[in-house]
Amino acid sequence: MSIPRTLSQPLAERVAGLPAPAAPPENVPEIPSNVIEAAVDALARGETHYTDRPGIPEFRREVAKQINEAYGLALDPAEVTITCGSTEARFVTVTLFAEAGTRILCPGDVSHIGAAAQLVGATVTDDSDADNISLLYLTPADDTDTINQLLDRAEQNNWWVVWDLSFTTGRPDFHPAQREELRSRTVTINSLSAHMAGFRIGWMAGSEAALRLRASKQALTICTTNVSQWAGLEFVRTNEI
Amino acid sequence: MTALNPNIPESVRAVAQDGTQLRYALMEMAAEMDGVLKLGRGDPDLPTPQHIVDAANEAMRAGRTAPTPVAGMPELRAAIAEHMQRENGIPASAENIIVTTGGQEGVFLALQAVLNPGDEILVPDPRYTSYDDAIKRSGAKMVMIPTDRDDAFNLHPEAVEAAITPKTKALLIVTPSNPTAGIVTEDRLRAIADIAMKHNLIVVVDEIYGKIVYEPWHHFSIASIPGMAERTITLDAFSKAYAMTGWRCGYVAAPANVIDAMARIKQATTGPAATVSQWAGLAAITGPQDSVAEYKAIYTERRAVLLEGLRKMGFAYGEPRGGLFVWVDSSSTGIHATELSYLLLNEARVLVFPGTAFGEQWRDYVRITMLESIEFLREAVERMIPVVTRYRV
Repeated sequence: MSIPRTLSQPLAERVAGLPAPAAPPENVPEIPSNVIEAAVDALARGETHYTDRPGIPEFRREVAKQINEAYGLALDPAEVTITCGSTEARFVTVTLFAEAGTRILCPGDVSHIGAAAQLVGATVTDDSDADNISLLYLTPADDTDTINQLLDRAEQNNWWVVWDLSFTTGRPDFHPAQREELRSRTVTINSLSAHMAGFRIGWMAGSEAALRLRASKQALTICTTNVSQWAGLEFVRTNEI
Repeated sequence: MTALNPNIPESVRAVAQDGTQLRYALMEMAAEMDGVLKLGRGDPDLPTPQHIVDAANEAMRAGRTAPTPVAGMPELRAAIAEHMQRENGIPASAENIIVTTGGQEGVFLALQAVLNPGDEILVPDPRYTSYDDAIKRSGAKMVMIPTDRDDAFNLHPEAVEAAITPKTKALLIVTPSNPTAGIVTEDRLRAIADIAMKHNLIVVVDEIYGKIVYEPWHHFSIASIPGMAERTITLDAFSKAYAMTGWRCGYVAAPANVIDAMARIKQATTGPAATVSQWAGLAAITGPQDSVAEYKAIYTERRAVLLEGLRKMGFAYGEPRGGLFVWVDSSSTGIHATELSYLLLNEARVLVFPGTAFGEQWRDYVRITMLESIEFLREAVERMIPVVTRYRV
């Protein structure tokens, strides 16, 4: 006997058209031994239970410190939530800031957020004059003039802004939250996926919605893998992010 | 029952209507206090068994840390399928399994995969309110199915059938239950299976506490009943039975088209579970199972101590047949459960969760875990007695 291949009822309509999962990346970099040993040490200390839902305090402090030093911001560690990779951070921000029927303005690669948008019933557009835009999604790979024009529009229209550093390294000294009008409406996303992807470590930082973002993450995965967080902490302590 | 006491701090009052946030508000308050005995969160205090930790260490030191396919490591999916066949009688193969980032994500993925806006899903009352967000995001409507203390919060097939409407697409079963610790017995599950097949319902069953069922009761998987595998989504995780909450690793068994849909959704929500956690999960499910029996014996002993203490305090409760909680009828105090929880925390330094954190009408219940040592459980009882005595009407 085996389980029939097909459920007795149709699947949810939102599933149709979602892309099949990509194969895992090949040739990932070797993880530094100090990071592995930090993870081993954490397990030896019994770090096998839930952590605080936004993440271990030491890690959140380090993330806030490095963002602040790099961009001249003043994030509080309480505004940082450690996530299961940047994927979770993007999904949580999209679900919180883009309801069904709204649009996400994305001048660059829509594949980063297309599936998340589809799951919440939002659409992704590159037309800054479109109706019902609630969220502006930017990465450092976007054109500089375009970024500045769209940030002007975000100020005028009270859009939320996501600045996603997880695919491309940041622009030295530039960050949307440096604009006073956007400070409370900008979320920074980043991850350690380029260095230790299998540990699934990312974060979302900043904005007046930080506590709601934290609650949404909690509803999805409760907290991020404990041992991964200790490994991630060791990495960011010994490397600039 | 009285309304919420205005002396309760604003941090608790502000979230009193949101069960999940209410639990976290109390936990955060407890974290600011010294010497709190924490009988709130369902996080086993026991360690992850050493052979599981050793397997994780070995994998990391050997460089087996690369990301896996989104649905999980093939060898882990195969091992879980074999385990579910052997332990649960569920005829699963690897294509029927997805590895999730904890049990809670499994609930989310399953419900997004099958529920459309306007659908109805039947949910036993009281409930673990973390399900609410997953149901809300699907656009479906939650329809509550009553359970009661005198029946040890078992699920009544008649109550299930009475709640079915043309919009009903699914039934959620949690056995053993969080928060009640009741189980849905095999005879009831067989009757519910007949109803599900008659009305073409999907059954989503959360069995995360299935390995922790107390004598003389036993766990039974509804998906093992002929005709049910094609309509059942079974959720489980390593978190409770193996004391692995922090590893965030769970799994789901379902027809392959559901697993495929869940993997597509998971790619957009969190990606694969952490690789180190999957190696740990593989060691848990393929290694010696002595720790599962050992931990259950510990919980059995603690349960007896806690129940004795509750009787000493004059509390009634539904018989806890499985899981890590006791669902306590606190109506004899005459105090709203949220206020009682606050008083116990503030004056006795004992953290318990109010019933209202598991359904707004459960103002006469509190949930108490057995996740402290026997010594601390006895101390918790001694600390609670004067508070309960002082305030009991």
